[in-house]
Amino acid sequence: MRRALFILLGVLAVGAAVFAGSFYLSRQVCVMQRATPADDLDWLRQEFHLNNAEMARIRQLHEGYMPKCAEMCARIAAKKLEVERGLTGATNVSPVAERGLVELAELRARCQGQMLQHFVEVSQAMPPDQGRRYFAEMQRLTLGFHEQIEQSMSDHAGHEHQH
Amino acid sequence: MNKPDFNPDDAKLRALLRESRVAPQLPPRFQEAVWRRIEHAGAGRSVETFSWLDALVARVLRPRLAFAVAAALVLAGALLGVRDGAQLARQDAQAHYLAAVAPDSLR
Repeated sequence: MRRALFILLGVLAVGAAVFAGSFYLSRQVCVMQRATPADDLDWLRQEFHLNNAEMARIRQLHEGYMPKCAEMCARIAAKKLEVERGLTGATNVSPVAERGLVELAELRARCQGQMLQHFVEVSQAMPPDQGRRYFAEMQRLTLGFHEQIEQSMSDHAGHEHQH
Repeated sequence: MNKPDFNPDDAKLRALLRESRVAPQLPPRFQEAVWRRIEHAGAGRSVETFSWLDALVARVLRPRLAFAVAAALVLAGALLGVRDGAQLARQDAQAHYLAAVAPDSLR
């Protein structure tokens, strides 16, 4: 009886090992084949089933947008550094630092607007259904994060007010 | 008509009854046979209790069934692995695109 039990447990263990081995092996092969795409736009092609003409148009938009995005990012980084320097060692927020924060927020807002405009243009280069899906997804991915933070902060503030 | 006297206290009657009782002869090696049957019955019960486990092991270890189950497990594992890998790769590609078009400072 004990021998039969050991054999059965051994069979179950071998079965589990076979299943786990084939699962991890195939997952790894799949990830290695598809992951870390050389092209930034690979995800668009896969996710929104775009043809070559649509991809060419989107690539053109993407390449036109990238320098503008890089320029805006550099301006934001410079302004951020300026604000940080203004606040280093300060015991209060000076009018200069406050102005710097407003300018930083303005730059971020402009950059965000530019980014959303790019998403609109890309969505228009796709078939209508896919375009709508793309724009909704990009809004969720880029603006949704802020909504989560604001929601969590307002919830937190609400709890504090109750106390 | 006179009734026969069946008084159980009658000594004569009791003696007659004792003599008429037949003591059957036991078969040869009766006791040994009884013990053997008891042992056999006990062993049979334990075999019966665990026989299903042995039967299961015997069935599982049949080559055809073992290969079929192993093939099914490999296939199921590979299909689930491919599905999971595709999902991971999709997330990776999405993160790659997002990093290009939406800098971290805006997210």
